[in-house]
Amino acid sequence: MLEINDLHASVGGSEILRGLSLSVRAGEVHAIMGPNGSGKSTLAQLIAGNDAYTVSRGTVELDGEDLLPLSPEERARRGIFLGFQYPVEIPGVNNAYLLKAALNARRKYAGLSEIDAFEFLKLARDKMAMLNMDPKFLNRGVNEGFSGGEKKRNEILQMAILEPRLAVLDETDSGLDIDALRAVANGVNALRDPDRAIILVTHYQRLLDYIEPDHVHVLSEGRIVRSGDKSLALQLEEKGYDWLREAASA
Amino acid sequence: MNQRTTPLQSIDTLGAMALDAPGGQPSVTPPADATVAAIASQFPANWLVIRNGKASDVAAQLPGLNVALTQDVLSIQVPAQLVHDGIVGLLFIDDTENGAGMSHARVVIELQAGSAVNIIEYHSTIGNAMHHAHCAMELSLAAGARCNFIRFQDRQTQHDQTGSLTATLDMDSQLHHTAFDLGGNVVRNELNIKLAGAGAMTCLYGLFMAGGDQHVENHSRVDHLVGPASSEQEYRGIAAGASRCVWRGVAVVHRGADGTNASQANHNLLLSAAAIIDATPQLEIYADDVKASHGTTFGGLDQNALFYLRTRGLDDAAARRLLIGAHAGKIVARSPLPALQARISEIVAQRVATLIAEEAP
Amino acid sequence: MAIESDNIETLVNRRYQHGFVTEIENDSLPPGLDENVVCAISARKNEPKFMLEWRLRAYRQWQQMREPTWAQVHYPAIDYGAISYFSAPKSDANRPRSLDEVDPKLLETYDKLGIPLHERARLAGVAVDAVFDSVSVATTFKAKLSEAGVIFCPFSEAVQKHPELVQKYLGSVVPQRDNFFAALNSAVFSDGSFVYIPKGVRCPMELSTYFRINAANTGQFERTLIVADEDSYVSYLEGCTAPMRDENQLHAAVVELVALKNARIKYSTVQNWYPGDENGVGGIYNFVTKRGDCRGENAKISWTQVETGSAITWKYPSCILRGDNSVGEFYSVAVANNYQQADTGTKMIHIGRNTSSTIVSKGISAGHAQNSYRGLVRVMPQATGARNHTQCDSLLIGKDCGAHTFPYMEIRNPDAKIEHEATTSKISAEQLFYCRQRGIAEEDAVNMIVNGFCKEVFKELPMEFAVEAQNLLNVSLEGAVG
Repeated sequence: MLEINDLHASVGGSEILRGLSLSVRAGEVHAIMGPNGSGKSTLAQLIAGNDAYTVSRGTVELDGEDLLPLSPEERARRGIFLGFQYPVEIPGVNNAYLLKAALNARRKYAGLSEIDAFEFLKLARDKMAMLNMDPKFLNRGVNEGFSGGEKKRNEILQMAILEPRLAVLDETDSGLDIDALRAVANGVNALRDPDRAIILVTHYQRLLDYIEPDHVHVLSEGRIVRSGDKSLALQLEEKGYDWLREAASA
Repeated sequence: MNQRTTPLQSIDTLGAMALDAPGGQPSVTPPADATVAAIASQFPANWLVIRNGKASDVAAQLPGLNVALTQDVLSIQVPAQLVHDGIVGLLFIDDTENGAGMSHARVVIELQAGSAVNIIEYHSTIGNAMHHAHCAMELSLAAGARCNFIRFQDRQTQHDQTGSLTATLDMDSQLHHTAFDLGGNVVRNELNIKLAGAGAMTCLYGLFMAGGDQHVENHSRVDHLVGPASSEQEYRGIAAGASRCVWRGVAVVHRGADGTNASQANHNLLLSAAAIIDATPQLEIYADDVKASHGTTFGGLDQNALFYLRTRGLDDAAARRLLIGAHAGKIVARSPLPALQARISEIVAQRVATLIAEEAP
Repeated sequence: MAIESDNIETLVNRRYQHGFVTEIENDSLPPGLDENVVCAISARKNEPKFMLEWRLRAYRQWQQMREPTWAQVHYPAIDYGAISYFSAPKSDANRPRSLDEVDPKLLETYDKLGIPLHERARLAGVAVDAVFDSVSVATTFKAKLSEAGVIFCPFSEAVQKHPELVQKYLGSVVPQRDNFFAALNSAVFSDGSFVYIPKGVRCPMELSTYFRINAANTGQFERTLIVADEDSYVSYLEGCTAPMRDENQLHAAVVELVALKNARIKYSTVQNWYPGDENGVGGIYNFVTKRGDCRGENAKISWTQVETGSAITWKYPSCILRGDNSVGEFYSVAVANNYQQADTGTKMIHIGRNTSSTIVSKGISAGHAQNSYRGLVRVMPQATGARNHTQCDSLLIGKDCGAHTFPYMEIRNPDAKIEHEATTSKISAEQLFYCRQRGIAEEDAVNMIVNGFCKEVFKELPMEFAVEAQNLLNVSLEGAVG
């Protein structure tokens, strides 16, 4: 589904990704791990189309289509969803309003009719019940005054409603207490689907106790230095990232 | 310019020195000396005394600093990379024992690249005759320089003061300025800060307290000429009696000064029906990437808080002292030079007590 | 992330839709102003003697006054001698008694503006007193209003039919010599609206007036007076559009509101005068004096304004809180794009005990525009228990615009509680990226964010006005972002 080949990218003149390649198939869950500054968030932002990052070499394709010339909204409409590490507050803009506009933008692109307010509310309420969220969330400003845990849960709600083909969840576990983490993980697990791929970007192994990945990749200095199954994450937890750096330089 | 470098001596020797002005007339009377000594004993600084607008030959030792004096201008230069960890005291004392008068002082302070200095400026008057003191100060901070600055004004209430401080901050320099106005008759202070280098930062705090028919104005203006740079202003006012206070804070973010952070706050406590505080915070923004805010509040003492304290056994005056002291204390706590905070806090508390006494039925 | 501000600017530039001129013959006075002109205006309107004397007093005072310069706006000097002070459509001679008698061209104009007059009036139950080129030509729903005892008519008609009310209240809130522009208006005002709500009456419908400038080089001097007697309520809507013109046009209106004991007046404005083109050529100079007087206890006056038009806006709808427990409110959205300049805000004068006021101001600057909030909160010594809360936010779109805040607080009572907060920010690149990542086009995302920013004010508008205001906002900012 997603093919990344020899990707080189920089931000503000410094090169962050240095020849990253990754292949993700439908139905798979991939975990991308790595120390701070290894390029994990850059990869997530790049897939979503943040133009602060400049690609100097390499390709990114979704189902064979070149993603790089596409704007963020064009990518979103093709089914790419980014769960932000720091979800943005947009004061005064109703959460439900944003979600409905987003869903209809995606439906319109897919040639479907726009969903009306009534249907939307029903859909949103169902998804919120699934995620055990208070329906009051819908009527608040987008992330306005939300706690860290609420913001992350709101990201998962958006993902549940938008039903993306490819979800990239950037540090969705950071700043969560154990209950919030469990709620978020349950939400993600519920959205696992043979037609959908999920990329989890995380620093710690903790999240993977709840969401079992098919593949684990370790990113270091802008490159995937090792790939394996979930046992790789456990090894990392035990030995730390230095172990890999040594292994890489050896 | 014919500058001569003044031989510097310690404040301790002050009492023993013969202080003769040209022409053999004694220029200092004993009460002034006593006041100087009293202030010096309260605030641990190396004091330079500016008497009736003139810096005298007697000055504190300021190791490493270049201090020069012409007839009209006192100039202090902090050499590059020198971190002066003591406190330079500038004591402006106006003596009116010999009758009404005026004084003009001009001070130029230059901090060269990477240097740091702590300054306290203390304004005081002696005697009951009318007096108008004016002080113009220029401060320049070269790249990376840091300056902590306190201005403390505690004049007699028949003495007027006008003053200005103009500061230019170059790249990555920092100015932390706190002003206290407790006395004076008509007082007007101006601060003009130019943030001229990227990364410059300034904090301007102030506390003004007025009673009787005092008139106290503080005008501060920050020009953000480039970005990123940040400025923070917080002034607090307490007005009793028939006093009138004015606070005008201006932040101008010039074209292209992107990455500016500018905040202003002004909180005022009115203790009597005849007291007046006027506030005009102003933001003028001509750049794009700017975060700016201001907040202003006015009010009397919180009657619920007063009542609460009295149910806890405090008498009315004590409860008022506590609440007004808390309002003022926020500026004391934000002032630089922790070594001076305790004493400043005491003087402020005394002034709070006299303001409360003024309002007592 | 770097959404270029330049891009943002290209997104915001749709052309003014209401730019066209209706060809109707005008009966105009030659340019210039002296006592003869004042007399001629009064004579043409067949005014009683008190009205002429009132105008002449205003004119003489105006001659002594100077144009104010303290506002943060810049414009070439206005030649008051080059302006024609009276212009009425020819059809004025035999005024239509119903819409059927109205010049079809006029109705067509309203159609172009998207105001199908009778349709809208019938469907929405809104009585419309449409002012076209200074003279009212159509007034509807009079019967229903008069049943309730409400007087809603052109100002000139009120002068004829209710001179005692006009004489009692005219100039009682905004005196003739209040300021330069108010004095000018007092001398030469052409027409406007008059509203009187009798004691205990809740006005059965929202009253609405659409103003429109048409004849070239004609200053518009509207005069509106609304009196709400004890225990009454009225909601008044004012909306303006203007045709595209190259020359600058002066507009100096005066609006006076009087709320007696327990009365409430809600005054909503959507102002969309021609703002000039994208190079700052043309556009209306809008110097307006709007003031309400809460004359009795428990009175309430609420101003809501959405200002998107005019090359220059100079406008401070204010409240004098004279009655004990009276309430003043000011909710404002001011958008300035291209080379527009807006200096707008409010004055809240607390005189009575336990008076309270709320100010919510949202300023949006784009292009090369300059947008200033200027507001005064004054608490007089006798105003024990006065309360004010002011929230004043500015949003910057693009690097060449300016946003300024000039609040003045003059507090004379220690028992007052006054809070003022102001913020300035830009639409963050993060907010835009977040919306776009959810599939929303950049332009829509900007509109969404701006509308969110203005939400507190829009919710104060009557429903159909709120929708119009949102659309207007989107149109006004078109091309500012991209």
